[in-house]
Amino acid sequence: MPTLTIENTAWEFAAGRPEVALVPLASLEPHGPHLPAGTDILLISAIARGVAGRLIKPAFLLPTWPVGTSGEHLGRPGCVSLEYDTLWAVVGDLVRSLHAHGIRDVVVLNNLGSPMGNTVRPSGNPIVKTAVRQLNYETTGLRAIWVQPFAVSRTALTEIFASAGRDLDASDVKASILRHLAPDLVRTGVADAERGRLSLEVAVAATADYVERTLAALNEI
Amino acid sequence: MLDDTATGPEIGAAAPEVAVLGIGAIEQHGRHLPVGTDFLLAIELSRHVATELDAWLLPPIPVSMSECHGPMGGTVWLKPATLAAVLRDIARSVEAQGVRLLLVLNCHGGNFILEPAIEQLNRELRWLRVVLAPEVLADLPGEPPIFETGALEVHAGEAETSAMLHYYPDLVREERHDGPITVGREFLDYTTLDRLNPEGTWGFPSRADAAKGERAARARVRACAAYARRALEAIPLVPGPAGSSA
Repeated sequence: MPTLTIENTAWEFAAGRPEVALVPLASLEPHGPHLPAGTDILLISAIARGVAGRLIKPAFLLPTWPVGTSGEHLGRPGCVSLEYDTLWAVVGDLVRSLHAHGIRDVVVLNNLGSPMGNTVRPSGNPIVKTAVRQLNYETTGLRAIWVQPFAVSRTALTEIFASAGRDLDASDVKASILRHLAPDLVRTGVADAERGRLSLEVAVAATADYVERTLAALNEI
Repeated sequence: MLDDTATGPEIGAAAPEVAVLGIGAIEQHGRHLPVGTDFLLAIELSRHVATELDAWLLPPIPVSMSECHGPMGGTVWLKPATLAAVLRDIARSVEAQGVRLLLVLNCHGGNFILEPAIEQLNRELRWLRVVLAPEVLADLPGEPPIFETGALEVHAGEAETSAMLHYYPDLVREERHDGPITVGREFLDYTTLDRLNPEGTWGFPSRADAAKGERAARARVRACAAYARRALEAIPLVPGPAGSSA
């Protein structure tokens, strides 16, 4: 379905009637000497665009919220971090204001997560789990879910990296996708653009699939 | 200029003295402008000002206090306390890296929490000073007037539409409805904009053009950069934290 973005007018929103909103969250923190501090912003934005285009219902894709909770990096150059209760308030406000406009389904793309992660406990931005849970309990008629793209694409990512004789590692996946999206931003290392292209593709497909399956399952409950 | 494409070590080596934070909004802007207008203008303004100052450009905050547009589609908002907390955490993060001045460029007129939040932050922070560049919606003091209706502009009018025609001409639609609202701007403390004008404008977008937008954009970038330079000079000479460039 066509995606509504911040480039549309309010009148186009009224005509397009988005039924689901995608809220991408990133983090801004040092990623070593070879990757930009804003790596997660670039990657989750690309994944969110792909996911929005694959959803069955008309979607409102929000711009990426650029900072998460990176307390473990606080004080290191390039780190801009929120406190947990601040990110909780941000997610709460965004989701509630979307719901006030009649959008029932809200999908929080909670940064990239880890290929070793799962759909029960987030890797990074852990408060988002609590925020989403409380929003659902406290807001009648809302269905908010959270997902981390690397966690739901673990199997496919493992295959891509195994076929190149490499272990699966979040930093390697990020570097590869970035080399595909913006080659000049990867300073050094063995990241491979083709591996990155495939990784982005499977991350988008697995995330869209997880979102559709989860929303469909909630319909049955 | 550093932005989020710089690595941590590159930012560490540059030890930026000034960080620039644009604040945008996502809210209805009439039939002719996209809901992301304030965010898009925050992206442009903050990048140009940070370049002028050779500063650290932080990613602009996309969403802020837009509840005053009520039920109009595509509008999302933060509560005032949330916006204040976001600003506080960002200020603490850059202070921890030795930044001396955080320049806030507000691109959404409804963010009235910023002034009190910044005043409080400056009492609490140790090394960093946070300053809000004067909000210039239309004409600049000391500059020849650019807009015919500058004093009447509140939302999606001549100045804002001109700015978009300059930076993002492809995103400006043809159908422009003027909003000649006669009550004071404080009425947004009492009601939402759709009740004052269902077309969602407050000002005269029909008078906008790209040339005015370009003149105003240049003047605004210059004014914000000059303000930051004066603020930096005015910061009392307190010793910076160990290891910082201050």
